[in-house]
Amino acid sequence: MHEFSIAASLVEKLSEFVRENPDKRICEVRLEIGELSHIEHDQLHFCYESITKETPLEGSSLKIDKVEAFVECPHCSYRGRPKYWDDILAGAPVVTFQCPSCGKTVGETQGKECAIKSVKFSQIQPVPS
Amino acid sequence: MANEGGIQATIEASPDEIYDIELEHSLLEANEKLAKENRALLDQHGTTAIDFMGAIGSGKTTLIAKLVEKLKDKMGVAVFNGDATTSNDADAIAKQNVPVVQIATINGCHLDANLVGKGLRKIDIDKVKLLFIENIGNLICPAEFPLGSKARVVVVSVTEGPWMVRKHPHMFLGAQLVVINKIDMAKAMEVSVEDLASDVHKLKPDIKVIPTSCKTGEGIEKVAAALLAV
Repeated sequence: MHEFSIAASLVEKLSEFVRENPDKRICEVRLEIGELSHIEHDQLHFCYESITKETPLEGSSLKIDKVEAFVECPHCSYRGRPKYWDDILAGAPVVTFQCPSCGKTVGETQGKECAIKSVKFSQIQPVPS
Repeated sequence: MANEGGIQATIEASPDEIYDIELEHSLLEANEKLAKENRALLDQHGTTAIDFMGAIGSGKTTLIAKLVEKLKDKMGVAVFNGDATTSNDADAIAKQNVPVVQIATINGCHLDANLVGKGLRKIDIDKVKLLFIENIGNLICPAEFPLGSKARVVVVSVTEGPWMVRKHPHMFLGAQLVVINKIDMAKAMEVSVEDLASDVHKLKPDIKVIPTSCKTGEGIEKVAAALLAV
């Protein structure tokens, strides 16, 4: 359940933003989560909602953009999408580090992201007299 | 209406008044930064740290105990035992008279770089050439949290059944060595060590896989040699 630590770290960062910008209200936060990270999106949504209850962030929406994995092969210079293990029991296809071109071990170049991409906020304005 | 100063009310912005800012900020950055600091400290003292990951009961502690037994007279070794609640593992290793730090995560499902960093301040690092870090028995979360170790080892045992590797593929992608433990039980369990190794190689073709039995001692020497070569 490391989603909780990640949600806590997210809320900490957003609370910092809210403290520094008391005239702004966060309405949406957009994350980028890589295909190679081991983060369950639904659990992250659940944790975020739970932590932000009764805080200035309550009601803000969490949007998650999935970042595809890309790999590079040091043996044959292949660059591109990884090979998937498709016939793995009943689960979803699994990313492997087997080079789709030469079969040796590749390294990832993209797909481990777990970052706040952008924040949408509205301005809280005093009523003009 | 009398204007008495101060904020009279707030007005919600309409959709066209919503602003967007780019805020590139990694949520795992704090741990990654501490992991790098741990690694720099270890390198500075010429210490190699190895992180052992695997399920509860896969034999991580026993394997580490066997490695300590084999190596402690040749070089300074120390052990960090991560465990949610008990000190059973730390107690077992401490009997061998090497420095042991028990890291209790209480409700945490993985060790993180901060806890390991605290552990590093508790030992005389100059006297330690090889540091074994035993992670929490969990096959998902530890993969997301580097600790600053030079290599990560996954320990699977045949008693976990034939599908262990394909059920937890992520753990293996980030590892540098895989140990298939309890091979003395393979026949009784009707689990093929070769099939488990073949699953590991489907995920990462070049990774070294060493079958071991802590009971008979088979493979322990090979694991020690592989760790000294990282």
